[in-house]
Amino acid sequence: MDLRWHHFALWAAFIGGMLALPQFVSSGTLRTIIFANYLAIFAISWDILSGRTGYISFGHPFLIGIGAYTTAILTKRFDIAVEYAIPSAVLMTMVGGLILFLPALRIKGSYFALVTLAFMELIYQLVQVIRPDLTGGTRGMSGIPTLTLGARDGFYLSFSLMAAIALSMWLLMRTRLGTALSAIGMNEESVRGSGLSTTRLKLFAFLTGAFVAGLGGAFYVHYLGSIAPRALFDINFLFTILVAALIGGLSTVIGPMLGAFFLTFLLEYLRPYLPGAERYFIYGGIALLLYMYEPKGILHLFSRGLDRWRERVSS
Amino acid sequence: MGHIANLREFSMNIKHVAITACAMSALFASTAFAEIKVGFIGSLSSDTGLSTLRGAEIAIDELNAKGGILGQQITLVTADTGEDVTEGIKAYEFLAETEEVDFIVSGSIDDVSLGWMPRMREFQIPTLDTWTSYIGIIDMLVEDFDSMRPYFMNIASDEALATLYIDFGKDVLKDQMGWNSVFILQEDTAFGGAINGLVTDALAPNAGIDVVDTLVYDVATVDFAPVFSRAVDSGADFIYLISSVNSQVVSSQYVKLQVPLGMTGVNVAALGQEFWEDTGGAGGGISTLSPVPSVGFRLDAASQAFLDTYQARYDSRPSFPHFNGYNAYFGVLQAMAAAEEAGGFNNTTWVDAMEKQDLILEIDGEMWIRYAFWGNDEVEPRTGRTYPHNVRFDITEPYDDGSPSMVVIQWYEDGSNAVVYPAKYATGEFVLPSWVEK
Repeated sequence: MDLRWHHFALWAAFIGGMLALPQFVSSGTLRTIIFANYLAIFAISWDILSGRTGYISFGHPFLIGIGAYTTAILTKRFDIAVEYAIPSAVLMTMVGGLILFLPALRIKGSYFALVTLAFMELIYQLVQVIRPDLTGGTRGMSGIPTLTLGARDGFYLSFSLMAAIALSMWLLMRTRLGTALSAIGMNEESVRGSGLSTTRLKLFAFLTGAFVAGLGGAFYVHYLGSIAPRALFDINFLFTILVAALIGGLSTVIGPMLGAFFLTFLLEYLRPYLPGAERYFIYGGIALLLYMYEPKGILHLFSRGLDRWRERVSS
Repeated sequence: MGHIANLREFSMNIKHVAITACAMSALFASTAFAEIKVGFIGSLSSDTGLSTLRGAEIAIDELNAKGGILGQQITLVTADTGEDVTEGIKAYEFLAETEEVDFIVSGSIDDVSLGWMPRMREFQIPTLDTWTSYIGIIDMLVEDFDSMRPYFMNIASDEALATLYIDFGKDVLKDQMGWNSVFILQEDTAFGGAINGLVTDALAPNAGIDVVDTLVYDVATVDFAPVFSRAVDSGADFIYLISSVNSQVVSSQYVKLQVPLGMTGVNVAALGQEFWEDTGGAGGGISTLSPVPSVGFRLDAASQAFLDTYQARYDSRPSFPHFNGYNAYFGVLQAMAAAEEAGGFNNTTWVDAMEKQDLILEIDGEMWIRYAFWGNDEVEPRTGRTYPHNVRFDITEPYDDGSPSMVVIQWYEDGSNAVVYPAKYATGEFVLPSWVEK
C-alpha cells in the first residue's frame, strides 16, 4: 500500500469540514448534499464493478433496487426491524450481484452491457406483476419507515455512510487486490497470464460492488420513505449514475464523489432560475463539454491544475 | 468651540441617518417578508401540470388584486417534477426548506405524489392535490389521520370514480349496447396497470362483461395495426383502451384503420380540447371517462368566468384547462379563504377551516359542482367507507349532494364533443363510429 500521512490528513480534513457544514449552510443545501451522498455511493459501487474491471454494467439499478425493495418490503409489510432488514437487503443484493456476474463468465463488451440492461428491465416488470400486494405494484410504496427526521440528521447519516464506503474502497483499491482489479480493466488476458484467477477477481469486484449498491439502496429508501419501480429501474437513474462516475473520473474513488456532487448541485442550483426542463439542457451541455474537454474527468482536471501550480511554485 | 459644535452636529446627523436607515431597512425587510408563499409542484411540460399551475396563478392574481390575504400579497413558487418520482421528492424539499412556502398546490401524477408524501408528513405543510386520484392516499388518511391532516385531494378518488364507471358499464355498455365481452388494450405504465386492475376486478364482473384478452403495449408503439388485428380476432364485442401517454397515436390509428369494434376506456389525451388537433382530426368516436369538469361539460357561471379568464390570458397549450385546472383555481381560493379564517396556515386551525369550506356551483338553481370535503368520520352511503379530506363526490342519482365522481365524454366525427353519461350531465348520446356495424 502506497499510503502517506498527508493522504489521511486530507481525508480527515474533508470529513471534518463536511461534518461542520450544517453549522454554515441552510437546510435546503443539506438536502441537496444528501442526494449527492447517495448518488456518490451508487457511482462508487458502479465504478468498483465496471470502472475497474471494464465490464460495463447497465444493470446497476437492478442491484440498488434489490437492496431497496428488500428492506422496504421487510419493514413495511412484515414489520421487521430496520437493523435486521438492512443486512438482509445487503445479502440479497449480493445474491443479485452473483446473478449479474454469471454472464461475465462468458461474454464481455457491448454484449455484457446489453445483458445487464435486460436484468434491469426484467426486474422492472417483475416488481409490478409479481406479488403487487408486497411490492406495491406499479405505484410502489409510501410510508416506509425513515431512519432520520430533518435535513441535519439525514445529512449526518448519509455523509457518514458515504465517507465510510469511500474511505474503505479507497483503502481497498490501494492494495494489491485493487491493483489487480484495475489491471483486469486494462488487459484481462495479461492478468490471467500472470497466474491470477480473473474469475475470482471479477467475482470479488461484483460482490463488493453489489454490497455497496445494496447498502446504499437500503439506506436510500429509508431516507426517501417511499419507493416506486419507475424511480429506480429507470434509464435516467442509470445514466445519472454512469455520468457521475464518468464525469468525475473513472477507476477512482474520489472521481465518482466529485461527479455526484457536481451533477446534483448543478441541477439544484439551476432550479430557481430554470424551473422547467430547460435546466436539463444546461446540465447535458455542461456534462458533454466537460467530457469532451477532459475525458478523464473532473478529478484529472484538478490534478492537472495542481501539477501546474506546483511547477509554478518550484520555478 | 465652533469646530466641536460642527462635529456634534455632524455626529447627530450621522445618528439620524443611521436611525432612518435602520427604520427604512426594517420597513423594507418587513415588506419583503410580508408575503404568503404558495408552492406549485408538478410537471411544467405537461398539459395537466400546466393546467394546475395556471389555475393557481389566476386564483392568486385575483386574490392579490383584492389586497391579498391577511393583509399580505401572495407569491407563487414553482418546482418542476418532470413527472419523475425522485425529482418530485427533491421538488417538495425545495419548496419546504429552500422556499419555505406556506401552502402547496399539486398537479402531480400518482406515483410522484406517493413519492413526496413522506415529506408532506414530515414538514406538515398544507397540501392540495388536484390531479392524482389514488385511493391509497386517502387510505393513508384513514389509517393515520393525525400525520396526514394537512393533506386534501379535490378530485374524486379512483374508487369512487370506478364505482360510477361500473354503472356506465351496466347501463350503457351492457344494457344499451348489448356488449358482453371486452378486449383490454393497456399501455405499459403504472397508471395503465392500476386502471386495468379496476376494470378486470370491478367493472367487468359487476357489469357482466367477460374479459377475453388483454394486451399490454409499450408507450413508444407507433404501429397499432397488429394490435387492433389481435383485438378483432379475439372475438370481443369492444375494446377497452387504457392510455395516458401519447394517447393521440392509438386514437388516430383506431380511426384511420377503421377498426370494426367500438372502443371506450380511459384516454387522457381526449380529456383536453387539443385532442382533435393532436389526432389530425382523426379522433371521432373516441370516448373516455373523465373527472369533472371535462370537455363537453356544461359549465356554471363561476367555472365559465374562470375559463374566460384562462383563455384571455394564455395563448399556448393547453388552450382549455383540464379538470385539474378548475380544481386548482377553486382549491387555491378555498385554501386562502381558510387561511384568512384561521389567521394563517397553522396545522390545526387551518385544517379545521379548510374542512368547513363548501363551494356549491349551481346551474338553474340545481347543484352542478361542489367543492367541499368529506370529514374524517363521515361514511359515504353507497360504498360504506370514509374518504377523509377527499372532495365531496356523489355517486348516487340524482347527484344532489356533490359533483359526480366522473362523467363519460365522447368525441364525434365532426370534431365536437359531449358528455354522454350520467344522464343528468349528458349533453349528447353515446354512439358508435360510422364504420362500426351495430
